[in-house]
Amino acid sequence: MPDTLMTRIDRRRVLQASALGGMAAFATPALAQKLADLGLPGGPSSREITTGFPQKGAMILQRTRPPLLETPMDVFDTGVFTPNDRFYVRWHWAVIPPSVDVDSFRLKVHGAVDRPLSISLADLLRDLPRVEIAAVNQCSGNSRGFFEPRVPGGEWGHGAMGNAKWMGVRLRDVLDKAGVKAGAAQVRFSGMDEPVVPTGPDFKKSLSIDHARDGEVMIAFAMNGEALPLLNGFPLRLVVPGWFSTYWVKMLSDIEVLTQPDDNFWMAKAYKLPANHWANVSPTDKDFPTVPISTMVPRAWITNLADGDAVAATDPNYIRGIAMGGTRGVAKVDISPDHGRHWYPTQLGAEEGKYGFRRWDITARVPHAGRIPLSVRCTNAGGETQPLAQNWNPGGYRRAGVETITVVAA
Amino acid sequence: MKTPSLATLIVIIFGAVIVALLAVGAPNGRPAPQQVATNSLPPEPTSVSGPGLTLASVNVELPDDTATYPDGPHADVINANCTACHSASMALYQPPLSADAWHKEVEKMRETFKAPVAEKDVPAIVAYLTAMSAKTAAAGTAPKPDTAQ
Repeated sequence: MPDTLMTRIDRRRVLQASALGGMAAFATPALAQKLADLGLPGGPSSREITTGFPQKGAMILQRTRPPLLETPMDVFDTGVFTPNDRFYVRWHWAVIPPSVDVDSFRLKVHGAVDRPLSISLADLLRDLPRVEIAAVNQCSGNSRGFFEPRVPGGEWGHGAMGNAKWMGVRLRDVLDKAGVKAGAAQVRFSGMDEPVVPTGPDFKKSLSIDHARDGEVMIAFAMNGEALPLLNGFPLRLVVPGWFSTYWVKMLSDIEVLTQPDDNFWMAKAYKLPANHWANVSPTDKDFPTVPISTMVPRAWITNLADGDAVAATDPNYIRGIAMGGTRGVAKVDISPDHGRHWYPTQLGAEEGKYGFRRWDITARVPHAGRIPLSVRCTNAGGETQPLAQNWNPGGYRRAGVETITVVAA
Repeated sequence: MKTPSLATLIVIIFGAVIVALLAVGAPNGRPAPQQVATNSLPPEPTSVSGPGLTLASVNVELPDDTATYPDGPHADVINANCTACHSASMALYQPPLSADAWHKEVEKMRETFKAPVAEKDVPAIVAYLTAMSAKTAAAGTAPKPDTAQ
């Protein structure tokens, strides 16, 4: 344990201060409404903190219907696993069944299979081998609110992500039970949510048959040892380690084996990225080739300090955070106090699974008094390192560059 | 017969009240109010178990959102068209966007997501959103949704 703990302003105090400012600006009665400031360039940046959602604690309210709830950054400072009641929430359509009867629930497996199945939860819990994996679930648009120039969409800070120990059964075992026919190309997943407008595109996502059968993709019935909160997909959720959350279909109720590539809206049109390594184009680029979003990239964040916090100018400061490697484990995390001119290695915490978050920390002096930009950079076990400059694309997807906060040393 | 003690009476009366409440049931078939639930152990939700894990049936209430778009020219049009599928905050929290960008968003809602928005209403909706963006750009904060009932 480091013996020098840095002075810091408690994040909650910062939030309360901004709440007071917000209330004055809105000239509303003195409601006990807490606000979070996400620091989004150009605004609007202020969001209500809500405790009004079932099975959820205090969350940043991005949207009530359909629910978009963001995890406050200080939750990530409490450990590498994100508590279920603080895990972020994202739905596309507002028709979400508010109740699930575990006796009558069935998971259907159909399409190009020898034996179409209608599997009960009891079957899944008792009849198939259990697997467990720690994995980060991150929204494709996590950190979209920091894109510059700004892009429309869910205006998330960094909290559209979480790490959990997922427990369930292998998708492969379920597919083998049904018997996938020769000629299968993809496997399509759909949940119990429905479009508000009946003719609107029902949310469905697909994986290649080889990916679906890789033994890692799983059907989870528990996260962090408990049933999933309904808003995180109770009773079943697809878990696709290393891939963005758009594939982790919630309230999974339907698996269809396809013989042709899926051309449904959510695969063919939505969640498309520029077809280059960092998903990076210029805001003026038009008609560039695109591909469906897939794997995550390394990222790192500071969690015990927020933008604008005070640190010690002469004594050592204890700085810590989390990192993720994407499809590989975290190999190293470096910190820079000068926009990347110098990098210093941090100490890594225990690895709790290559797809999960990993803690890093360092006790170090800052180079001078005044404003210090602190940047953190993750390199994964495949040697992939975060670029210093941010990538940009019109969807606001897969932000990859190093994150920087500015602290004030005095 | 021995006079029942005060404690026994309380237990009997309490039990009778619970039985009566259970017999009457909650209004509209909603889950029983909390004070009854904590004292009388309502029927266990159905559950299924496997090694080390039990999944119990879930019945929750998701919060509704009655907030509307704040007053301004064409607020009536946007409130009539753009509160059915999503909260007003979805639009209010967007960064300042140009009229052209807002037009694209409205057309995406109509064409891709099949929002039943009449073509004749599109210019008014785009005008409202563009004016809202100008206010947001000037203030740096989102116009507050109107939560007055």
